[in-house]
Amino acid sequence: MLRQLQQIAQWFDDRLHLTKLFASTAGHRVPKSSGSWFYVFGSGTMLCLMLQLVTGTCLAFVYVPSADEAYTTLEYLTYEQPLGWYLRALHYWGSNFMLGIMSLHMAQVFLFGAYKYPRELTWITGVLLLFVTLGLAFTGQVMRFDQDAYWGLGIGTAIMGRVPVIGAQLVNLMLAGPIIAGETLSRFFTLHVFILPGTILALIGVHLRLVLTKGINEYPKPGVPVRRETYVEEYETLVEKEGVAFVPGAISKDLYFSAFVMLAIATCAAVFGPKGPEGVPDPTYIQTAPQPDFLFLWVYSVAALLPPYTETVVLLVGPAVGVLALLALPFISNTGEKSARRRPVAVLTVLVAFLGLGLLTWAGLTSPWSPHMQAWTSDPTPVAFVKGRSPLELQGALVLQNKQCRNCHALDGVGGHRGPDLSTVATRLTRDQLVRQVIQGGGNMPAYGKNLSPAEVDALVAFMMTLHPANELPARDATLSVRRSP
Amino acid sequence: MDFDALYRSQCAGCHSRDGRLAAARPLNDPTYLAFVDPTALRRVISEGVPGTSMPAFSQKRGGLLTDAQIDVLVDRLTEATPGVRIALKLPPYSAPLGDATRGAMVYQTFCSKCHGAEGRGGPNGQSIVDPAYLSLVSDQALRTAVVAGRIDLGMPDWRGYVPGRVMSPQEVSDVVAWLASQRPRQPRPSTP
Ligand code: HEC
Ligand code: HEC
Ligand code: HEC
Repeated sequence: MLRQLQQIAQWFDDRLHLTKLFASTAGHRVPKSSGSWFYVFGSGTMLCLMLQLVTGTCLAFVYVPSADEAYTTLEYLTYEQPLGWYLRALHYWGSNFMLGIMSLHMAQVFLFGAYKYPRELTWITGVLLLFVTLGLAFTGQVMRFDQDAYWGLGIGTAIMGRVPVIGAQLVNLMLAGPIIAGETLSRFFTLHVFILPGTILALIGVHLRLVLTKGINEYPKPGVPVRRETYVEEYETLVEKEGVAFVPGAISKDLYFSAFVMLAIATCAAVFGPKGPEGVPDPTYIQTAPQPDFLFLWVYSVAALLPPYTETVVLLVGPAVGVLALLALPFISNTGEKSARRRPVAVLTVLVAFLGLGLLTWAGLTSPWSPHMQAWTSDPTPVAFVKGRSPLELQGALVLQNKQCRNCHALDGVGGHRGPDLSTVATRLTRDQLVRQVIQGGGNMPAYGKNLSPAEVDALVAFMMTLHPANELPARDATLSVRRSP
Repeated sequence: MDFDALYRSQCAGCHSRDGRLAAARPLNDPTYLAFVDPTALRRVISEGVPGTSMPAFSQKRGGLLTDAQIDVLVDRLTEATPGVRIALKLPPYSAPLGDATRGAMVYQTFCSKCHGAEGRGGPNGQSIVDPAYLSLVSDQALRTAVVAGRIDLGMPDWRGYVPGRVMSPQEVSDVVAWLASQRPRQPRPSTP
């Protein structure tokens, strides 16, 4: 009986070459020293991705990517579908864990010098994987299409819109129009569900292929630098002499870690539940202090903390420099010491990076640059801006309060500081431009569009037209250069 | 619960902090406080005035204030004894609209010297018949303005338009009807 089974297995193996496949993949030999607790993060990230693919597919069965239905289907999932909330929670926490473990993986690879010769390409594909994963997280938060998503997107657009010359086109490409609308959601859905996951799978294929061809980094020893001439040979002897098959020799810790990650995700999902959806996107209702997802909070702080005149440069040049530095890293430090004990600068870099991100996130959580939620009811329209105003203009001042413009805009320095102080706005913008700004938004400002009645727009603009110093005339079309598009 | 803290954080934005000049009427004007009806006051604070910029504050209406907090506001604002009201011989807080045609005449008597012959603005007052303006204010706000005036803006009250001639309750209702009749007939926007 047993023999017969074996024969059948043999028959299949003869045709499918499964043992060979196994020997050259999961069973490939790795340095014994790499069976370390430090080496578990790669497989942990992979596991999270698998979880995301499964939960994501399940979510896609119910989710409808249209502006009016996205929110409803999510509410249905959360409150009606049995365990639908848990599915959403798993997907949300899976994404957080994936990025978290991925950062650990990256830090470990960096500290252990694993990116050095001959594994440059492994690092580069890894960096690309990081970007695609961030892309998935960003497009994922938009799927909720709630207020947080709206603001997250608003900030993303604000950064894009700063690109010189083609900024407006980029925003158009990203949002499928000048403002965040239903088309935006279809676009992000396609990215989130087809393009980015496809890319990530392809990149992982290359990444893993490289792990097989170039081997996994041995546990670095201080004082044993990488030399291009000898490294490959040294590595081969090492694997020959004291290598073990990855399965079953070195995989046990990965399995423990994977189990732990699964448990952690399942627990977080059960305890904290899914995120949102937190209210249909409505730019006039901002009392809940919406914020982009935790992961992107630091970007939001950077945008908020920078002095305005540096914003464009930093927000555009900064990421470009960062990306280039990451991609160039394995070529800049291609050989030499691998051990973190001999690379104080590397250790410092990692510490500063994590500390910086942590501090910025904290600043984002607590910053006064997020809309100042009480301004609309607590900061009076300054007396000078009330004096001599007509009844209509006074109504405009009231609309400005009531529609919570003050939460982002100061008058005479008092109020929120997300947008420019409006005290002298009439010297900068003409009536038409004011109408346009209010209705279409632009920059980090939401489009108020249908949330204002024509009379409210009239009053608002009439009031804003009075906001200029007594000795300076309001802006006129002829004297004003064309304004930056949204 | 502290009235001042509540008022400063919730109302000062529109109704002014120290009662000097404000976009909406300052709520420390004794004439106004004697005029206003406590029930109406509570209703306005809780439910807002639909179609205007006065928001609803009651938590039931999506606002931030509890019933107890609203009580604190109402109690303090209506402290001025009803005695003042009688002593001043104030017209009633609310009344149905009067007759617009008579209102036009009342307007000429009491108001035109400041707001101009047709209400579009004159030497001492600006337009009060702008369609957008009228779309954004309630009839009650117009009535309140006529009776209690806007001391902060230089608008007298019902006793002060013509020296020695106090407006009668009927004249108040008529002139408000005249103003309201010029409001464009479009559906009021619903403000949440
Ligand atoms: C969430 C915060 C936010 C809210 C709420 C908001 N704005 Fe803005 N606003 C901004 C930002 C940010 C900018 C700068 C946009 C840019 O970069 O072009 C801006 C720009 C403006 C400008 C152009 C100012 C200039 O000097 O170029 C005007 C006018 C304006 N807002 C009016 C309003 C009005 C009126 C409202 C209420 C109906 C309002 N805003 C609500 C954030 C906000
Ligand atoms: C966003 C601006 C805004 C805020 C904040 C606000 N109000 Fe008002 N309030 C208005 C406007 C505008 C009106 C006039 C409404 C109308 O046309 O009837 C008004 C009217 C009123 C009236 C009725 C006046 C009358 O005609 O008798 C009362 C009372 C009042 N507000 C009390 C309050 C109190 C108390 C608070 C704080 C809890 C408050 N308001 C906060 C804008 C505001
Ligand atoms: C002494 C001059 C004067 C007279 C008389 C006068 N007003 Fe006014 N009124 C003002 C001033 C000043 C304002 C403040 C706004 C402005 O400058 O136009 C004002 C404002 C108003 C407002 C707007 C109040 C608000 O809160 O938005 C209304 C409504 C109004 N007046 C109606 C009337 C009516 C009706 C009469 C006649 C019964 C009248 N006024 C008589 C001077 C006057």
